[in-house]
Amino acid sequence: MPFLIMLFAWLLPISVVLGEPPALRTDNLDSRLVAARTAVVPGQPLRIGLWLQHDPEWHTYWLNPGDSGLPTRVALELPPGFTAGPIQWPIPERLPAGPLVNFGYSDTIVLPLELTVPANIDAETVTIRARADWLICKIECIPGDGEYTLTLPVAHAAEPQPRWAEDFARAERRQPVPAAAPAAISFTDETVELRLPAQLGPAPTAAWTFFPATAQVVSNTAAPRWLETADGVALVLPKSDYFVGAPERFEFLLARGDTGLTFAAHAAAVPGADTAPAEVGAPGFLLALGLALVGGLILNLMPCVFPVLFLKAAGTIEAGGDRALLRRHGLIYTAGVVTSFLAIAALLLALRASGEALGWGFQLQAPAFVAALVLLFFVLAMNFAGLFEFGGGGLAGAGQRLVRGHGDRQAFFTGVLACLVASPCTAPFMGVALGVALLLPAPAALAIFAALGLGLALPILALGWVPGLARLLPRPGAWLETFRRVLAFPLLLTVAWLLWVYGEQTSVLAMSWLLAALVGVAFGLWLLHAGGGWRVLGYGTLVLCIALPLVRAPEVAAPAETGARALHETWTPERLAELRAAGHPVLVNMTAAWCITCLANERMALSSGAFREALESRGVQYLKGDWTRRDSSITSYLESFGRSGVPLYVLYPGPGREPIVLPQLLTVEIVQQALNNI
Amino acid sequence: MKKTLGIALVLALAAPAVLAADAKIGAPAPAFTLTDIDGEARSLAEFAGKTVVLEWTNHECPFVVKHYDGKNLPRQQADAVGDGIVWLVVNSSAPGKQGHVSAEQARTIQADWNATQTAYLFDTDGTVGRAYGAKTTPHMYIIDADGVLRYNGAIDSIPSANIADIEKADQFVELALAELADGKQVSRPLTQPYGCSVKY
Repeated sequence: MPFLIMLFAWLLPISVVLGEPPALRTDNLDSRLVAARTAVVPGQPLRIGLWLQHDPEWHTYWLNPGDSGLPTRVALELPPGFTAGPIQWPIPERLPAGPLVNFGYSDTIVLPLELTVPANIDAETVTIRARADWLICKIECIPGDGEYTLTLPVAHAAEPQPRWAEDFARAERRQPVPAAAPAAISFTDETVELRLPAQLGPAPTAAWTFFPATAQVVSNTAAPRWLETADGVALVLPKSDYFVGAPERFEFLLARGDTGLTFAAHAAAVPGADTAPAEVGAPGFLLALGLALVGGLILNLMPCVFPVLFLKAAGTIEAGGDRALLRRHGLIYTAGVVTSFLAIAALLLALRASGEALGWGFQLQAPAFVAALVLLFFVLAMNFAGLFEFGGGGLAGAGQRLVRGHGDRQAFFTGVLACLVASPCTAPFMGVALGVALLLPAPAALAIFAALGLGLALPILALGWVPGLARLLPRPGAWLETFRRVLAFPLLLTVAWLLWVYGEQTSVLAMSWLLAALVGVAFGLWLLHAGGGWRVLGYGTLVLCIALPLVRAPEVAAPAETGARALHETWTPERLAELRAAGHPVLVNMTAAWCITCLANERMALSSGAFREALESRGVQYLKGDWTRRDSSITSYLESFGRSGVPLYVLYPGPGREPIVLPQLLTVEIVQQALNNI
Repeated sequence: MKKTLGIALVLALAAPAVLAADAKIGAPAPAFTLTDIDGEARSLAEFAGKTVVLEWTNHECPFVVKHYDGKNLPRQQADAVGDGIVWLVVNSSAPGKQGHVSAEQARTIQADWNATQTAYLFDTDGTVGRAYGAKTTPHMYIIDADGVLRYNGAIDSIPSANIADIEKADQFVELALAELADGKQVSRPLTQPYGCSVKY
């Protein structure tokens, strides 16, 4: 029967009455293509719409249909010169169906679309064709579709079409408006938190209804938990059962009666900022590029890069005053640094695209990577200390030839090494640049990482190109051998620190095994001096002691509980929200054992008696988050401040005030001043 | 290997539940015992050691009709059963609701569609549907030979009731079964199911 009706509709002559198309009857629905005005006026936009009259208790769906259902779709066939915007969805209804919830419309509605009309129309009438399909449900569901033709006269002026005026007016009235600023979104294992921007015209409250416009992020069924936090309102929702990763953009609607506000939220939107990160334009990009370059340059002064600079320095001095050689090696070193930064960045972007919550320094969150660095630095230190010298070939020679001496390959791999050891350090300016990088499309993000590498390589590059600079270098001589022996000790200190990181990530037992492997490596290297069968044994020992810790790297262990009452509490999103809701000022410190900058700050600025007194006198709660191991809630917290790595220091001064982000290099004065301003 | 495990772990953690209280990717699938079309009790445990596909059905739902009339489900069932996979069709429609049928009706419906499921199970009180968080018909799950849930979601990638879309869509269940057969992780273990709501 419906088929016959549709057939009949098809056979109807195109323009029975101008502007008054007959309704198409399909299962439980009357539908039409209608216009808000009586005529098309050249050069003036024209509002048309799909008019739907549902039988009682039946409904069709919104752009996100919810747990079941399908959104209604309209495809237009327009005369030349006309263009159409998307459906302007009016505020939908929440439609519970057993344990499920859908979003849609009932009774009579118009789904409006705005057409742009060309300034010149060389015809007396204009015909618009449309094809729509939908799913209409009561309890059961029936898919439907229809084809429509709307013919309107062309005129110099047009009147509102009285027949549809009320329906269009209702759709207009129920049209949600975009909120003045984006919301911030963050994720925990089970929940999604949406922080609304401050100072919205009509401020939504718990009496408003929540509609997720982007599917597969939050549960459709649960009503949000509304939290009043010091700097605004946050909504907490369970994740969708089908949540597979943080979306690039999450849109939602809050509505009460005919008032609706639409929000766009990006994972890294800075709360209160009025530009969405996706709109980081050319200036933002160039600025980030500049910050990355400066950050990379300053990275040379950070403690983690020192050992590698020593290495490079030794090679440079051996090259003597040969400017051409210095230039060549400077360029190759730069290529090594930039290539490895790009490789790590590409891996990071790929893993993030697959849904992993990772940030800068992520490679140090893997114990196997830390173990590899330990072994590498230890072998280098043994070489510098003179335990073994490289011969013509073989394993020991290979490792050493890569980074010592003054060949092309050495220059390149010293660059690779510089990048590897730089990763635990964050220099000023770097945090902002990398935070921006992770929001940009991949090519732009890679450009920022490349700029960072270039900045890191710049001083060595300058040696070859800035006249006079190379002449400042001392002449090579016998002292160079002594210098090399001395360099073994900073390398060993690096080994000690990395062992501590490894121990923090795993266990004392695992760290002891790694230490035993180091002893084995030293023994194996020493055996290489001996001839014949002893050399074979040496190689065997080396392979075993290097391969075992890498292949059998233990899993990251949970942090040990410390019984002693510490100055700080462990950071969790819930604890932070709780303290802020109670009106306490809070200092958040995001740190990691492998982050030297973090550790330096804690030693210098965050453990003094003055710091403790300042905290206590102002009643500031101190929360510390440890990112040594992977933690997606910390990653999303970092991202909410546009950062992708540690350290991050945030001071929440208290009710009604915006959080303050402290610099990445802290001094006692900076911290005290910040605390005094509460 | 460790990486893929890591990703699977992240996904497992990312699948909380309102309705799907027990069904989590990477975790043991909820056990059940239901009555089949012949009145016999069938349990998930009896299929231990075999890969099991669960398909939620409602013969009056246009989305189910799409995949049977479009020969998509019968073809996938025949292929899977031919490969030694267990295919269970589950009907959670409550008495008096759409899709609630007698054993005899179910037999006729499936025969008319050339369906070759291993068993057709009645979940009249919706217990199993709720435990798995079945939301739509069709809604598909894959449980591996060790009883671990490997897939939860849509039958394919194009949410529509239009038969013509079947060949353009990625057939999620078929792809996941192929990956499991190759000893790989399922690359898309969670998708948003589409269709009619389950008539609990």
